[in-house]
Amino acid sequence: MHSDLIISQTDGRPMYLQIMEQIKLKVSVGDWATGQEIPSIRQLAMALRVSVITVKRAYLELEREGVIVTQHGKGSLVAPDASLAPRLHEDQLAEHLERAARLGELLGLTPEELASRLEQASGRSMEQLPKENQ
Amino acid sequence: MNYSMVTRLIAKDWYLQRWMILASLAGGAASLGIVCTGGKAAFMLGLILLVMVLIFVGAQLPMAMMVHERKEQTLSFVMSLPISHREYTTAKILGTLLIFLIPWLVLVLGSLALFAVPNGVALGLLPYTVIMAIEILVGVCLTIAVALVTESQGWAVAAVMAGNVGFNIVGYYVAHLPGIAQGMWGSSLMWSPTASTVVLTEFAVIVLLLCFTFFFQSRKRDFL
Amino acid sequence: MNDLSVEFRGVSKHYPHFNLDNIDLELPTGSIMGFIGANGAGKSTTIRILMGLVHQDKGTVNVLGHPMPADQTEAKLDIGFVSEDMRLYGAATLKWHMEFVSSIYPRWDQAYAEKLVRRFDLKPQQKIKGLSHGQRVKAALLLALARRPRLLVLDEPTTGLDPVARKEVLGELMAVLADEDRTILFSSHNTQDVEQISDQITFIDHGRIIDSDDKECFLDHWRRLRLVMPQNTELPHLPGVIDVGGSGRLPVLTTNCFDPAMLSVCQDLGATVQAVDNMTLEEIFVTSVQHRRETLAV
Repeated sequence: MHSDLIISQTDGRPMYLQIMEQIKLKVSVGDWATGQEIPSIRQLAMALRVSVITVKRAYLELEREGVIVTQHGKGSLVAPDASLAPRLHEDQLAEHLERAARLGELLGLTPEELASRLEQASGRSMEQLPKENQ
Repeated sequence: MNYSMVTRLIAKDWYLQRWMILASLAGGAASLGIVCTGGKAAFMLGLILLVMVLIFVGAQLPMAMMVHERKEQTLSFVMSLPISHREYTTAKILGTLLIFLIPWLVLVLGSLALFAVPNGVALGLLPYTVIMAIEILVGVCLTIAVALVTESQGWAVAAVMAGNVGFNIVGYYVAHLPGIAQGMWGSSLMWSPTASTVVLTEFAVIVLLLCFTFFFQSRKRDFL
Repeated sequence: MNDLSVEFRGVSKHYPHFNLDNIDLELPTGSIMGFIGANGAGKSTTIRILMGLVHQDKGTVNVLGHPMPADQTEAKLDIGFVSEDMRLYGAATLKWHMEFVSSIYPRWDQAYAEKLVRRFDLKPQQKIKGLSHGQRVKAALLLALARRPRLLVLDEPTTGLDPVARKEVLGELMAVLADEDRTILFSSHNTQDVEQISDQITFIDHGRIIDSDDKECFLDHWRRLRLVMPQNTELPHLPGVIDVGGSGRLPVLTTNCFDPAMLSVCQDLGATVQAVDNMTLEEIFVTSVQHRRETLAV
């Protein structure tokens, strides 16, 4: 059974987080439109070959964050919240910045050195982005 | 007791033992055929062939039906079916006995036929023949009981040997019993109370063996 | 309908060289439990007691509402059992086995059985004795799955299977759970498989259950903290830490009841928290067992 989402075995993060991230990505790029019905917990569990309890947890967290809405007995669908995309990206950015900060500490960088590294990376990324997305 | 399950189990075992069933049918038919060609040599040959079939089936069948379930590790497959230990035991005992009865009945009916035929065997031998035929059955029941309860090849072989030795001992002893010895070589039938007692004892032993089997099987706490 | 498919209370079994001691187990209907233990830990014995194949010396066992071993005939109608040491009849074909099993169980699904034959890449006309180990395991699983039993009890279902077959089997097991009323209990050495598809996880060692919880709780509560200690500071005893590894100024603490507050406790002591690692189920299991054996040896 082919699945819309792919879970990596080598990704060190908990599976429910991976599932959440992938669903959020699907929503933010528009693959799963707002108001669209998404697979039920059991259906997704079967498709991903992941335990029901993990998918259930992902869905609960997603509901708490307002990404999806679960109607009792009728399954789940994407929340009709239009301003989703930027917020999702906000969450991702916060996560990445935290990780960068930790790595910076490990490497013994000062906050200024870390900031300059970020500027360099941002510059490189601007060059690589296709014109339409800017 | 779920009789349809027991029947299915027996059918399963008969399918798996089909070659042995065919062999015993063929052996029985062949020995009858040989005897019917007439003459003393043919009679001896037919009798020997029949006895060989009886010994082979009596020893090999309990082994194949019961010891091999454990040896081939199919026991957990069978016991995972919706059956109780009692149904398993019943199916094994019935399945084995019914197959063994094929050559055994050939022996009994063949012998009776020989008595009925004019110029056949002297009727004096009838009581002794009946007793010894049932004695063979007792031996096989012992093998079945031991094979089923112990599921061990060693013990089953020991039971076969005990059965053989017992057969010889009983044969000697009964032939010298006053009630039997008297009329044995006569030409007329002399069914004495001794003969009745011996036959009844033999049947009682068979029943006892089967009861013990069920008893020990029910006491088993580890079926694997 | 019971909401517990399997219930063990205080089950004990004595053998000359091994004791199953006071086993409590609860398996809710509709979930899948992974049973992890070293060889000889008691997984197979527990499973045999569940099936009524071995009588417990003490304690009660309820399977699908039936007390075992008393009601085993009734219970076994709804249970599919496959164990690693189980063999089918070598002289018969897979097709014969399928006909035999389908004649006994009314819920046999012939269409599903044929689909499984294709999916597991088996040939029904082939005699069992000609099959490789992996094919025999798949054949036995097919016979159990095609009956659509309410409870599947599997002792090492993926051991000895190649990676493709393993994925197929896991897929079929998950498909079973599409029905909320069906339950699976499986024991395995493959902690990765267990981690992926189990809802509940139970650890067993030396005849005792050493931990049983739902999977997300396990993964949530266990962490490895990598600290950098300041110079000349001894690491004090911290509550909830069950193992300390590493050396010198770089201790690695393993905890089984992680709380973010622990991080501030460490930082208050002057340590830098270099990393907070999640642990795989395998690491959790090995640490649990080692910890238990050490505490017992003391």
